[in-house]
Amino acid sequence: MPILLLVIVPFVVAAAVLAPGGRVGRGAFWVAALTMAGVLAVLLAGAPGILDGEVDQESLTWVGDLGLTLAFRVDGFGLFMAVIVSGIGLLVFTYSSAYFRGHHGGASRPDVGRIAGLLLAFGASMLGLVLANGFFTLFLFWELTSVTSFLLIGIDDRRVAARAAAQRALLVTGLGGLALLAGLVLLGQQSGTTTLSGLIANPPDGTITTVALVLVLTGAFAKSAQFPFHFWLPGAMAAPTPVSAYLHSATMVKAGIVLIARLAPAFATVGPWRPLVVGAGAASLLLGGFRALREQDAKLALAHGTVSQLGLLVILVGIGEPELTYAGTAMILAHALFKAALFLVVGIVDHQTNTRDMRRLAGLGRLLPGLAVIGGLAALSMAAVIPTFGFVAKEAGLHGLLELEGMGAGTVALVAVVLGSVLTVAYSVRIFDGVFLRGVATSTATGVRMEPAPIDPARVHHPRPTFLVSPAVLAALSVLFGLAAARVGEVIAEVAGSLDPKSADKHLVLWPGLGPALGISVATWVVGAATAEVLRRRSRGRDPRPVAATRVYAWCFDGLMRGARRVTGVVQSGSLPVYLGVILLTLLAGLGYGAAKGFPDWTDLPFADSGVEIVLAIATGALALAVIGARRRFTSALLVGGSGYGLALLFLAYGAPDLAVTQFLVETLIIVMFFLVLQHLPDRFRPPPSWAPKALRIGLSVAVGVMVTVFALAVTAGREAPSAGSDYVERSLDEAGGKNVVNVTLVDFRGFDTLGEITVLGVAAIGVVNLVGVARREQRRKRLLDGIDLSDPEALDSADRDARRRFRSIVLSTTSRGLAPMLAVVAVYVAARGHNAPGGGFAGGLILAAAVVLGYLAEGRRSFSPRRASPLLLVGVGLGIAVAVAVTPLLFGGTLLESAIWKVHPPVIGEVKLVSSALFDLGVMVLVTGVVLSALAAFVREPSDDAGASGSALEGAPGDPSREGVSG
Amino acid sequence: MSALLPLMVALPLGAAALAVIFGRWRRLQWVIAVVTIGLTLAMAVVILIEVDHDGTLRANLGGWPGRIAISMVADRLAAIMLVLGAAMLFAVLIYALGQEGVDARSPWYVPAYLVLSAGISAAFLAGDLFNLFVAFEILLMASYVLITMEGNDAQIRAGTTYVVINVVESLLLFLAVGLTFAATGTLSMSVLPERIAGLPVGVAIGLNMMLLLAFGLKAAVFPLFSWLPDSYPAALSPVSAVFAGLLTKVGVYAMIRTETLLFPGGQRTLLLVIAGITMVIGGLGALAQVDMKRILSFHIVSQIGYMVAGLALGGVAALAATVFFVIHQIPTKTALFLVEGIVENDTGTSALDRVGGLARRSGLFAVLFLIPALSLAGIPPFSGFVAKVGIIEAGFSGADWVIVGVALLASLLTLVSMVKIWTGVFWGDPQPHPRGRVGLVRHHRVMGGVTAVTVAACLAIAIAAGPIWDFCERTASQLVSTQDYGKEGSR
Amino acid sequence: MSVVVALLVGVLASVGTWLILQHTLTRVVLGLGLFANAANLLVLAAGGPPAEAPIIGRDGPFNDPVPQALVLTSIVIGLAVITFLLAVAYRSWTIDGNDQVEDDIEDRRLAAEERARKGTRG
Repeated sequence: MPILLLVIVPFVVAAAVLAPGGRVGRGAFWVAALTMAGVLAVLLAGAPGILDGEVDQESLTWVGDLGLTLAFRVDGFGLFMAVIVSGIGLLVFTYSSAYFRGHHGGASRPDVGRIAGLLLAFGASMLGLVLANGFFTLFLFWELTSVTSFLLIGIDDRRVAARAAAQRALLVTGLGGLALLAGLVLLGQQSGTTTLSGLIANPPDGTITTVALVLVLTGAFAKSAQFPFHFWLPGAMAAPTPVSAYLHSATMVKAGIVLIARLAPAFATVGPWRPLVVGAGAASLLLGGFRALREQDAKLALAHGTVSQLGLLVILVGIGEPELTYAGTAMILAHALFKAALFLVVGIVDHQTNTRDMRRLAGLGRLLPGLAVIGGLAALSMAAVIPTFGFVAKEAGLHGLLELEGMGAGTVALVAVVLGSVLTVAYSVRIFDGVFLRGVATSTATGVRMEPAPIDPARVHHPRPTFLVSPAVLAALSVLFGLAAARVGEVIAEVAGSLDPKSADKHLVLWPGLGPALGISVATWVVGAATAEVLRRRSRGRDPRPVAATRVYAWCFDGLMRGARRVTGVVQSGSLPVYLGVILLTLLAGLGYGAAKGFPDWTDLPFADSGVEIVLAIATGALALAVIGARRRFTSALLVGGSGYGLALLFLAYGAPDLAVTQFLVETLIIVMFFLVLQHLPDRFRPPPSWAPKALRIGLSVAVGVMVTVFALAVTAGREAPSAGSDYVERSLDEAGGKNVVNVTLVDFRGFDTLGEITVLGVAAIGVVNLVGVARREQRRKRLLDGIDLSDPEALDSADRDARRRFRSIVLSTTSRGLAPMLAVVAVYVAARGHNAPGGGFAGGLILAAAVVLGYLAEGRRSFSPRRASPLLLVGVGLGIAVAVAVTPLLFGGTLLESAIWKVHPPVIGEVKLVSSALFDLGVMVLVTGVVLSALAAFVREPSDDAGASGSALEGAPGDPSREGVSG
Repeated sequence: MSALLPLMVALPLGAAALAVIFGRWRRLQWVIAVVTIGLTLAMAVVILIEVDHDGTLRANLGGWPGRIAISMVADRLAAIMLVLGAAMLFAVLIYALGQEGVDARSPWYVPAYLVLSAGISAAFLAGDLFNLFVAFEILLMASYVLITMEGNDAQIRAGTTYVVINVVESLLLFLAVGLTFAATGTLSMSVLPERIAGLPVGVAIGLNMMLLLAFGLKAAVFPLFSWLPDSYPAALSPVSAVFAGLLTKVGVYAMIRTETLLFPGGQRTLLLVIAGITMVIGGLGALAQVDMKRILSFHIVSQIGYMVAGLALGGVAALAATVFFVIHQIPTKTALFLVEGIVENDTGTSALDRVGGLARRSGLFAVLFLIPALSLAGIPPFSGFVAKVGIIEAGFSGADWVIVGVALLASLLTLVSMVKIWTGVFWGDPQPHPRGRVGLVRHHRVMGGVTAVTVAACLAIAIAAGPIWDFCERTASQLVSTQDYGKEGSR
Repeated sequence: MSVVVALLVGVLASVGTWLILQHTLTRVVLGLGLFANAANLLVLAAGGPPAEAPIIGRDGPFNDPVPQALVLTSIVIGLAVITFLLAVAYRSWTIDGNDQVEDDIEDRRLAAEERARKGTRG
């Protein structure tokens, strides 16, 4: 039997139906129906062989090492379920094409195509589920049914109720799914197999197995709407009736039953198994029954009935006794038939009368006699009245339960089933009576409440015959199978035999003969009918409150949401200082952990290396400490800068002249930029809003300082290994052609770092230009909107003017025309000698930039960039040069940044060594110049910006470099 | 072949230089970008194939011997990360091209983007601890520029948080690296392991902690994640798509290197705890949000937890699961942000209560969300399920019940918030909005197309999960045999 | 590395931390600057004791060039970062006239709702 095709083809068809979106009409249902018919045909063709006990298997490996394979297996039970799925599918689809027909032809709603496609996809998933043998295969289709069910329940997504119900159903089954997954993985690891057949063949035992089984049962209960997960099913009735009939009565909710049925024979004896199945089953059986007796909505009453019936099934197939497994199998069929039939009938009622409220539906039997007959037969089967198939199955069940002696669970089960049957009879009577005969009595209390008006017989449309076919067939089968009990029983025996060989010799009989079982049945009929009548008498006819479990769920869900909000409110304070505080605390914790594990002893380190060091350290530290007290921005910036200069000197003392130079230049540049920016900002700091008590912040700061210090000392003390630096020193001159090892390291040994470093610098400049550009454009726009004449200097806010004044006082005063060119020369010199003495491209670049700035200032202009081009061009060019130099060796089969040395002998000077890496340094220099110019140009502003650009400020493409050049 | 490694970085940098020079010609800029990143993608694929067949590739820059040179190393992990990174960068670049007003965008978008790609590649290839730091700086600075690209109020607020936090991270990283050198006298990651093994235990742990802190900050694990959901949503949607898909994963990548190569098996328990809390906190955070972009941002955090969990569990199986998780996560997460971008572009918002009924407008678009969303929640048959099972199997076989339980619950949280997005954005009454009721994908051809391709990639990963998983196991076994790291041609 | 230098590192780090934990971007930037200085000094000092500058031709022993190279890189990167942050501060000023570090709106809203909810529950 081509199992894979059986499952895949329907999926493909479903996809084909869904693809065109809304343009598909009711015809889609016929397509779906045909598909299911085909599946059914194939199954029936293969049936004889399967029932004779042969077994088809197919599998397809997905992720072998994780045991993820698509493994299918068709045995009697699989075939049986597949037939139910496809058969009822066929009937539901044909029914739907009529159900979704508007009263005046055409589709009653635009999205029938989607419904058809999803229903078919569900059917395919269900087929996969019942034929699955591999754990993963089972889980895959298990989840797919959950998802399709979610989408179908929420198909009327404009209704809040539908959305909520869909969500509830998905989350509950999803939770079950997770339990199932965990359980299956555990079972897989315990048994070493990943197929159900393999698992049952030699079942593992032990605590872990027990846990796994409990998890699996949880999943099954959730799926089959068993207590305490039963509450999602009534909500699912928000879906259109055909959907409810197919998913939520006949097939999907059977998934859990199927799983339990397959596992029970092997595991029923394991510790908590029987208590759990009987407990959950009994609870659901009774709860569902009671609820069904109180609902006014026929469909909801049926839904609760389903919960109840599923409880019965769980008990029968769960106990794992051959007799009961056999009865359970029969009951699955019986229930599928009569429950689907009843749903379809209610669907027709709803469709013709536009209501399902039994308080309004009085005497429909006279208006729609045919429908009443169909519903009646189905109801008889549900009430297990002879000669229906429901009766036959129930009898077998009772018989089996009576057989169980000396099993505590068995006795409980028996009592539950008897009581449950009474309830079943009662609500069967009530529903039929309510829909077709006398209706449900409305409130006998004083007519304070608005009574729902009874339907107007004149406006009840007669269903066209095609509409009646499906339920008629189902109802008819419910009776026929009852009459042909013996014949059907043989087939069922084969089916049940594939679950538990010992049930292969069981029989079904229409007339059980006088005995306790029959006695019980008769009793249930009488008592049940009486109960219904009594209840009708004293019925208050008020809308029942939502199921308690629903409220529990809602409470949990809201609790979860509330918890989530509360937790998030705490951890996600949204305050930067808090985040930083947390980070630093983590740092302390980490280093503390290290310290706890023991740092090497560092007490023998020298107190100081030289007197100079002490002085410099004190000076640097003092300046830094002074910042804390500073209330003015300028002061703070100056102090930090000063501390930076101190550091530069310390570097010098350490024998790091390059660092000293760089540090000095950088600090200077930073101070300048600070002043340029700070002139906009308020002079003094606002008193900071305290996000934490001052003590805490002080403590944290000090702790960080101390921890870092201690760790630093520990690291230094613990050091033994030789440094790679010695290699650099050795190779610097001969192989890299440079005396200044640090510079050689930068442009050669570790040139790649430098490439990255200048990239960072360049991008930063880009960012600055971009941000300032945005700010400028916005201000221009504001000004234009305010209609201020930009050429009028008075219009510019005074901040700009004294900004300019300050700037002049800072820089101009320290300049004169002569200085600029001199500086330029110095710059080139510094860069050039860098390879052999302190200096280098970076220092050179900074100085060159300074030279350009001074040059401009000396000319009395305040924009450091030519009108047409942005200094960012220099950044691009510089980076370009550096990259080019770096990549060139690759062209000659070398590696990135491999340096070449040429010796040239110009006259007079004698030999000169040219090193390619010097070119690299040139790139660095150009880029740095560009960066500094861009930044300064961005932070300095002048009226001509606005005046010059205002005209085209709005329509001009924002961020056009030419304008960036001017304004930023 | 090893010449390709430096090119993965040098090429985009050169292109960035050109893009700056030609800043005035937008079209040209974009052409440069598309060509360059396309090339890097191609090179990355070549590298991956090469590495998988003939073993690790190594380039000692400057032609110096490995001890002293900065070396770039591409083992399986690095190679696959390169491919994923380049692919996502390429996809999002095209996506950004399809956005309206792309011409009006600042001319600095493209250069910054190119530098970002260079930085990401450099980080994956770094075989030298300090060079790793530099790579981080490159991609961080580029990300600073990108996240503040439009310079509006929200971006400045978010940008401030993002920049300051990451600068602190950089400082800590620099300290960690500098001190590591001070303690061991080397920066080469192929020499470091044995040197570190010789360190006093306290010092080793201290260094390990500092590195973990720095990388964990980038990867946004508990308790260092809070900056992420505050900053990512403010960026342009293509930018946040790249950030969401890639940047945190760079942090994860660095964590994997630290814990497998430098400090093998160092902090199992600590990492397990962190992983568990990260999953749950991220999930809860997502539940509390009412905005699609923020929900997804919190999910980044939650998912990082899974990767850390696999890393913590250790061993080939668990590491393979982590690698697979990363492979699955990058395109999936990106796809979700691309979908979000279309929603935002079309309706002008991503607040759940101001969007609705999109499923009615475009079924295809709904599918484009549904697939990665279900995958993220670990629903079969999508790639996320395989990743989840991998972690669960590893956890169970190591008898680490707790982490598995937490992981399962966290995936339920994921499901809940994905449903929250679905019911909020795709179900319900369609909101009236300027563009009328045209199908979203049809309306945003390019963006929709790119999103579709990305989702297709997610599906491809699911379909090819078998071979991919095998690759992950090869990768994991390579990670475990630390002494081979950086050895030319080592399998 | 000498104790004095270690102490200086500690002081710089402490002050840096203190400033970073403020709400004013200017201060935060200055704090980052100080912290960076601390880190640079630390890395240099941890690399070895003061010695002759590593320039071939001078007579050693030389100070280890590698830490110097690292610190140089870090100084330049520091410059880049500070420049950019200044631009951010400037932009933030053009938006709301100061450079306060604002909290995240969405988080605040959520936290506020929570407080309100608690309030209603009494």
